[in-house]
Amino acid sequence: MKIVNLLAVVDNEKCRGCRTCERVCPVLAIKMENRKAVVDNERCRGCANCEQRCPYYAITMVKREQPIAVKVDVTAVDYALIEDLCRKAKFNPEQIICYCTATRAEEVAAAILQGAKSPEEISFLTGVRTGCKVECIQPVLRLLEAADIKPEPPKGGWQWYGRTVTVWEIPEEVKRKYASRGFYFDEDIKILDRVANAPLQGRSDS
Amino acid sequence: MRPPIMPIPPRPSQYGIDPSLVKTRVAELPGMTSIGLKELFPDLPDVIYPSAEGVAAIRKATEESLKNVDMSKIKPEHSVNILAAHHGFTLLGGEPYAEMLKTIKDVIEARTGCKNIRLRAGVGLRFRETEEYIKRYGLDEYFNGKAIGVAPVDEGIAIETEVGTLYGIKKIYDADWIVHAHNSDVREVHFHRQVDRAVKPFGMAYARIETRSTYHQNLGPRAANFTARAIFDSPFVQSKFAFASFLTVAPNGIINVDSDNDLYALNDRVTQSGCKYYGKMMTLFGEIDECIAALDFPCPVVYVFSAGVIYANFAGANTDLYDLDIALPAYTWYTEAFYGKRGKPLLDDIPRVNKAIKMCVHNYAWTGYPSAFFSEHIPTIVVGQEQADLFNRDPQNLTYMKHAMVAEDTKAAMEFAYKVTGTKKVLIFDGAMGGINVSEPLAEFLLKKAPEVSKRVDEELLPKWLRQRGVIL
Repeated sequence: MKIVNLLAVVDNEKCRGCRTCERVCPVLAIKMENRKAVVDNERCRGCANCEQRCPYYAITMVKREQPIAVKVDVTAVDYALIEDLCRKAKFNPEQIICYCTATRAEEVAAAILQGAKSPEEISFLTGVRTGCKVECIQPVLRLLEAADIKPEPPKGGWQWYGRTVTVWEIPEEVKRKYASRGFYFDEDIKILDRVANAPLQGRSDS
Repeated sequence: MRPPIMPIPPRPSQYGIDPSLVKTRVAELPGMTSIGLKELFPDLPDVIYPSAEGVAAIRKATEESLKNVDMSKIKPEHSVNILAAHHGFTLLGGEPYAEMLKTIKDVIEARTGCKNIRLRAGVGLRFRETEEYIKRYGLDEYFNGKAIGVAPVDEGIAIETEVGTLYGIKKIYDADWIVHAHNSDVREVHFHRQVDRAVKPFGMAYARIETRSTYHQNLGPRAANFTARAIFDSPFVQSKFAFASFLTVAPNGIINVDSDNDLYALNDRVTQSGCKYYGKMMTLFGEIDECIAALDFPCPVVYVFSAGVIYANFAGANTDLYDLDIALPAYTWYTEAFYGKRGKPLLDDIPRVNKAIKMCVHNYAWTGYPSAFFSEHIPTIVVGQEQADLFNRDPQNLTYMKHAMVAEDTKAAMEFAYKVTGTKKVLIFDGAMGGINVSEPLAEFLLKKAPEVSKRVDEELLPKWLRQRGVIL
């Protein structure tokens, strides 16, 4: 869950229509209209990516009068399906995949099972990728892939480019080549597998 | 007992509170003292900075180290990107790193005739941070307007590696040649585990979100740093790599500048000094049985440091961060991810946070790094409502204050901490130069423990750590 308490506000005097904000928004909430950036207030998740990357310092983050709680209801989906999807992607359903919002794999899986088909939709619904904006793209892509969904990156955007390697896919010759240099591939596979298959602690956040 | 070392003053930044709001430093309070690091470990190397010579010593060392570097590939008509990363600017006030960057530019220009030399400075999770440093140290003017901060959400470039496609930041690689200008401070040893420390920025400060996410989510706690090696070893990066220059750092200051065309040779040297000198400090801190940790430095919660050891690593000092047989430190993002809904690790053998930290007094630290794990697992008291409000505006820390309390001032916070914890041992993470600021009881404790720790590291731990990394010097 994420509490969204900020909103991006554009200074039209400073905005030069460069599109940087549009290219980095993880939920596609800011777009160019008549060569000026326009924020969809309902869609903005307060991540500050636009504010942090605007070359002209034309965007500020302001406190929302009414914060929004962003969360997908995990109980609305058959938990066996959530569990299957998470474990197929090699995550424990309770594993945290977004450190800023403490969103767990099960919530993203629930979003996918309820119809989300892209990282942008998942971020909009759950808040992942709207904290640090950096660390959660791969788990999201892995969970989508486990659901046999192959999203396309936003056209012309810099939001994301593609899924990358996991430790289970490192070629054996690469493991052998670097075995003496402190890379513990097989040992890490063991711990990640144990976590993925570990029993659940409980289904409520109480 | 010696008087405390005054830490660097608070800094203006969009990631911190107004410096005028930091009215008292923890080191100023009664009962605080300092220990020179050579008092703890007499075998620590001599440093060139801090010294009476100031940053001139850095310029001299950089010039000297570059004498043996081959720059013949760089032609006058070429372009060169000097690649920097944010952490260097928090070391010892930041000036030494800035001076090394300036000197590298000057030497390349003088030796090769190349004038098109740019600075590309990567960041962590605070995307404007290096822009602030560029202005602070006059690097924009020094590089004739060609100094920029780059962030992991900036336009990317696909890099083909032996483990598939990874992604770098386009502006990092938009020159004929790249120079890797970094430092050997171990900093996030919980993440890199001193494996390929010298290569790490290719998977972090110079990398796109996909690559960073690979590191922190896809490969596991000990295989993660392979992302950096994969990128650095790629034909694309190798075709552009000219050389590397590092500020070599020990807990007591800057030892020298090390430059090399062979990054892996430099990496081995850095591995040895990182394991030996920082290994002793971390092992010593791991001996602390109880204390109050006081944060008092202009950088995010995890990165505030004492004798080169960051708070995040003190939170994991109950585990041997250098021993690769131990899968997980008590704090790393992989560990944090493995806590289930009931607030306990999903596996019984996942280490818990260092129980020696009885309370954290957050006197001064920045936002811009997800830190709620710390306030959730370590009783935390934040000094000043302004700090609390700042955290509540940070998209990465919206729940930090959910677990922390607020005190009106530093003195009240410390009095509360003494009363609640019952300990008088205080370890201050304020980046004091050349020493550490502590309370008198902790000073006595550390001085007593240090000789045995030094012997254990030299005779047992260091040989094991180096063997695990294949480093034989």
